[in-house]
Amino acid sequence: MPDAKPLIQVKNLNLYFGNFHALKNVSVDFHAGELVGLVGDNGAGKTTLIRVLCGIHKPTDGEVYFDGKLVKEFHPKLAIDQGIETIQQSVGLCDNLSIARNFYLGREPVRKVLGIPLLDFAKMRGEATKVIRAFGLRDNVSADDEVERLSGGERQSVKIGRAVEFKNRVVIMDEPTNHLSVREREHVNELALQLRNQGLLVIYITHDIFQVHKLADRIVIMENGEKIEDASTDKMSAEALEEVIRQGGRVVEKMES
Amino acid sequence: MTFLRQLAKSAGFGSVVGVGVMLIAFTLIDFSGWWTARTLSNVIHFTSILGLIAIGQALVIISKEIDLSVGSVYGLAGIAFITLEPSLGVPGSMAAALAIAALCGLAQGILVVWGGLPSMIVTLGGLFTFRGVIYVWTGGSVRNFSTDAREHWLTRLFGGEFLGFENALLWMLLMLAVLSVVLKLTRFGNHLLATGGSAESAESRGVRIDRVKIATFVICSLMAGFAGIITLADRPQTHVTIGDLLELEAISAAVIGGCLLSGGRGSLIGAVLGAFIVTSFRYELIALGAPSSWFITFVGIVLIVAVIFNQKLARWAGHNV
Ligand SMILES: Nc1ncnc2c1ncn2[C@@H]1O[C@H](COP(=O)(O)OP(=O)(O)OP(=O)(O)O)[C@@H](O)[C@H]1O
Ligand SMILES: [Mg+2]
Repeated sequence: MPDAKPLIQVKNLNLYFGNFHALKNVSVDFHAGELVGLVGDNGAGKTTLIRVLCGIHKPTDGEVYFDGKLVKEFHPKLAIDQGIETIQQSVGLCDNLSIARNFYLGREPVRKVLGIPLLDFAKMRGEATKVIRAFGLRDNVSADDEVERLSGGERQSVKIGRAVEFKNRVVIMDEPTNHLSVREREHVNELALQLRNQGLLVIYITHDIFQVHKLADRIVIMENGEKIEDASTDKMSAEALEEVIRQGGRVVEKMES
Repeated sequence: MTFLRQLAKSAGFGSVVGVGVMLIAFTLIDFSGWWTARTLSNVIHFTSILGLIAIGQALVIISKEIDLSVGSVYGLAGIAFITLEPSLGVPGSMAAALAIAALCGLAQGILVVWGGLPSMIVTLGGLFTFRGVIYVWTGGSVRNFSTDAREHWLTRLFGGEFLGFENALLWMLLMLAVLSVVLKLTRFGNHLLATGGSAESAESRGVRIDRVKIATFVICSLMAGFAGIITLADRPQTHVTIGDLLELEAISAAVIGGCLLSGGRGSLIGAVLGAFIVTSFRYELIALGAPSSWFITFVGIVLIVAVIFNQKLARWAGHNV
């Protein structure tokens, strides 16, 4: 059972991109030890919402509480320092850097040589190699290779492996199984469950409501920047949730009126 | 072949080939004019000065920005060094000149990062502003060093010779070594490469790209200022136009040396070799007795040839550029 006190609490969040109202008065709680599926149409605002949580976007108004404390400054560095690891949908890897350098980007281990802190390549290479092998990357891919030569699935594997390696309190996955084959997809889903069972909060964004229904404790549905549904998976079936997405929230409104 | 391809992956490789081709060509065309002590010592001296500036420029280009102000910063620091000397002494005026250079970089970096302005525009503004400051400050004429100042040990340390090598060359090689280590082997270097490769990705991993870019502009201006000080420590007489058009030579040197304006890739050794190529053309044309105005044309041609060559080379090595 998740804790009563939410680990992340979002209250009346609004975010504008210029005139475009991307998040409309969103309120939602996330608890430690919970796997939450975040679903909704393309452009619904899922990525935008989690980009607030991981410090990339600053909300126009509304509050975010992490561990009961109001978040005042938004920067990815601060979120990472708080223990929020994110697998981003479209960014996260620098093509011009090796896998090992990407792996440790922003938290590079150093070793003092004559008192000067230099990158600890042995450690970077060793850890990165271990993780990419665990994710079944081909043997001819080495941790020294630049990311630019990797396939879409290999890139995704590096991003997921990295997040899992540095897991701390929260792991956010934005469509993590994109580009992945069936076997890798199952591996990722297994990892997501493992993380939840270790007591972490996992937020899992996907378009596959049936798949995530099997994994998640709770499903949050977004539509046009609004939260239109927030239901525990043992209260609502995948079919019912799919209907909510298809109707774009109209079902909910009808039931309420 | 695989080995060659591996070599070609490093950004500076094209300029190594370029230097080889150039030396062979100059030897064949003008053996007696090129291989003279006079030409070579001029080439080495000016390569050292331009190399220092090109190293800083290369770092800025790797961060996916550009600095058009380095010629003016070079001039401003050099002139500050000799103009302030009577009141501050040699050590004081040297420190003040470096501080002025650092401030130039800081101001421009802040405008680019926090103002969200393109560095091309900000540093073009810097180019004119700092040059204007030189004119206003000096009233159009610059005094020279006193004999005492010329003989000061610090002046000798930056301007003199050591075991037959110009100190300018030794300083340039030292800065090249230090900054190459910083770029390739430190956290800051990794953040700089990442910022140039994909600022968005770097930031999402917690890299403070704003600080990285500002620091890079400061380093670039410091290198230009340092080059100005070395120039005047060596030959302490100058004119308000010192450093005019030097930014274009520095950018050319960095680009010939394999820095891609698309960011994230480049080599400091390459930038120095690029400076060597640019400078060699200048003095070889002089040795050939060609009118000095030809120099700019040649730099233009070499630049275009080098960009095409570097790009082909990078594609052949397997980069998506
Ligand atoms: N930086 C931005 N500037 C302007 N508009 C943006 C920006 N980022 C996102 N948007 C807009 O906000 C809306 C929500 O985008 P978001 O990426 O959050 O959707 P999503 O739910 O993740 O969709 P998908 O399932 O396609 O990934 C879209 O209409 C998008 O065009
Ligand atoms: Mg999205």
